[in-house]
Amino acid sequence: MIRNQLLICAGGACITSGEKSVKDALVEELARNGIQDEVQIIETGCMGACDLGPIVVVYPEGTFYQKVNVQNAGLIVSEHLVKGRTVPELLYHGPTSEKKAQTSEEIPFYTRQVKRVLRNCGVIDPLSIEEYIARDGYFGLGKALEMGPDEIIKTVQDSGLRGRGGAGFPTGIKWKATKDATGSPKYVVCNGDEGDPGAFMDRSVLEGDPHSVIEAMVIAGFAVGAATGYVYVRAEYPLAIERLDYALKKAREYGFLGKNILNSGFDFDIEIRIGAGAFVCGEETALLRSIEGKRGIPSLKPPFPAQAGLWGKPTLINNVETYANIAPILINGADWFRSVGTSKSPGTKVFALVGKVQNTGLVEVPMGTTLRELVFDIGGGIRDGKKFKGAQTGGPSGGVITADYLDMPIDFDTVKEIGTIMGSGGLVILDEDNCMVDVAKFYLEFIVDESCGKCTPCREGTRQMYRIMERICDGKGRGGDVEKLKSLGKVIQLTSLCGLGQTAPNPVLSTIRFFEDEYRAHIEDKKCPAHVCKHLLTYSINPDKCVGCTACARQCPVQAIGGQVKKVHVIDQATCIKCGACYEVCRFDAILKE
Amino acid sequence: MGSDKIVQSTGKAGALSEDDRVFLQGVVERNRAEHHGRVSYMDIMFELEHHYGNSLPGEVLGEVARLVGAPASQLNGFVTFYTMLSTKPRGRHVIRVCTSGPCHVTGAPSIVAELKRLLGVEVGETTSDGMFALEASSCLGICGVSPALMIDDDAYGNLTSGDLPRILAAKRGGGDA
Repeated sequence: MIRNQLLICAGGACITSGEKSVKDALVEELARNGIQDEVQIIETGCMGACDLGPIVVVYPEGTFYQKVNVQNAGLIVSEHLVKGRTVPELLYHGPTSEKKAQTSEEIPFYTRQVKRVLRNCGVIDPLSIEEYIARDGYFGLGKALEMGPDEIIKTVQDSGLRGRGGAGFPTGIKWKATKDATGSPKYVVCNGDEGDPGAFMDRSVLEGDPHSVIEAMVIAGFAVGAATGYVYVRAEYPLAIERLDYALKKAREYGFLGKNILNSGFDFDIEIRIGAGAFVCGEETALLRSIEGKRGIPSLKPPFPAQAGLWGKPTLINNVETYANIAPILINGADWFRSVGTSKSPGTKVFALVGKVQNTGLVEVPMGTTLRELVFDIGGGIRDGKKFKGAQTGGPSGGVITADYLDMPIDFDTVKEIGTIMGSGGLVILDEDNCMVDVAKFYLEFIVDESCGKCTPCREGTRQMYRIMERICDGKGRGGDVEKLKSLGKVIQLTSLCGLGQTAPNPVLSTIRFFEDEYRAHIEDKKCPAHVCKHLLTYSINPDKCVGCTACARQCPVQAIGGQVKKVHVIDQATCIKCGACYEVCRFDAILKE
Repeated sequence: MGSDKIVQSTGKAGALSEDDRVFLQGVVERNRAEHHGRVSYMDIMFELEHHYGNSLPGEVLGEVARLVGAPASQLNGFVTFYTMLSTKPRGRHVIRVCTSGPCHVTGAPSIVAELKRLLGVEVGETTSDGMFALEASSCLGICGVSPALMIDDDAYGNLTSGDLPRILAAKRGGGDA
């Protein structure tokens, strides 16, 4: 008889924090206390709060234990399960709250979330199809088979669901176009090539709730008239591939995939295709070429994939998060879906909060939530009491949202007005220590690397922009560089073939728009206000603070620091390579970085 | 196009043994059957990389091209397009350090620098003992615990320079860190 269940987060991030050894410790301790038959351990998908991992939740109470390690995991068994006492040292204590949180419902990170896409992530065992079914899994498929293709598509259209991969194109229109297209066979594709740095909601859904994607793809296949589906997943996500593969096998066993699904006469099956580190493959036409076994090079649209996609046949391609929305829409209806979010962007959006924010991880909130709520209420503010400087959104295709726009509701359209995009939902939070010129240069370098090389504006233009950015950061910026970046950026936006090129200048243009003074400081004063750009820094030693411990001199890789023991040391500026090793090692704050 | 011609074009005629040919034929045929007649090049390449020590020698690609009935140039184009695949020999373990945005702002540059120092190689090179290949990777999707890296299929997060010797030593010893 099972009296308690221990849910352990086995998402990618918690695994890196030691989830496996915590689980082993719990198993061992249960056996030691002879209660292994009364307590069930369930490894779930991502619970979202990555910085609190490894996380263990005890049910039925819902007690939320965080930062559990091998040494203290046993306490959950010996104290909580055997003696009925919670383990206070493992409870979450928010920076502003008076008492410790017993359950996730008392943690601000969770209370403001609306979990639709992530409805099962962190709640069920992703390897158990029974648990998925117990939470209304495959009920949407059953309903869809009764509704018929036209009604399914109408419901998706009425819901106003827009593609969660970044472009925000109305999903229902894609479905209808694919259904109406002539040509056979048709294909259904899931874009799981989540390349935006800082976005990992697709990984979490595939790892934590793979059946939600499978179910939606079967529904899509039935609606548009396809018999074959492909899920394209990045090889950087081995765990997602493993769990999806297992889920596909189970779905076949249960008759949700394969021949004559649920006795409806409808046949559909899904294969996994793997991507191998090419960012451009997130672009849908490039992704389709990659599935065909070619180089992932985008092609001009139209024709759209709905007309001529995989092997020239009509193809429906949606993102993982988009698919994860489908079954609940069919079960609860379009009005239910529209009950949260904004009128033009209904529903929820999963954001990945990363960077300099206190609470990192995945959060799902209604569209139209403000950045202030995301960063401060849910994210707990900036780490180490630093000042919020901006949020980089949309990865290398996006730009920054600054402190002035903290109260702007975020949806597909509002962020466009200030020169960025929501993208797939990555929010990289930057603080006063981040140099905006460096951040923009960094994203541009990424694009230069990832440009497929097909069209000139993207291949050559971004390289030229990068050269200018590089010289600005190296202290060799020239008057007129900012203007050159702007005009070159405009040309690349207007003349590139695919979305990658058209959006490539965004990080630079957006940071120029909001932080032009930082660019000017680099170019005119040869200073990096955030002290990041190495060539614009000087390191020196404050004679009042230096105690002559020699730590810096021993650490310096180029012997640029001279001085005797217990005497003030001096940095030879001509020899110094500005690596910052002395700054890191000094325990007396005697190294000045200017 | 005959197989001999392709193999000769790589300048290493006869480098493939009969065992290799039988193995490659098995891989391609199994893949074709699993994918209902349409081979998945990527699956084949990953399987072959695994078999041939994390790289895809030219002769192997030539033979696969013959088996799938595609020009060798197409396969070469495919393999060189994707950064995770390599035609150059690589170390037994491939270290992929995430160098994307979130890891960059939380310290990836110093992790890369320390790995270069510990291993004595540049990014893209393999250590002289053939143990580790050091590569920069696109986003690993574990940004919540950045900076992060992956060695083979194992991910490591919340890295500091101080963690690296232990992780490398564990991999060297064949276990987990």
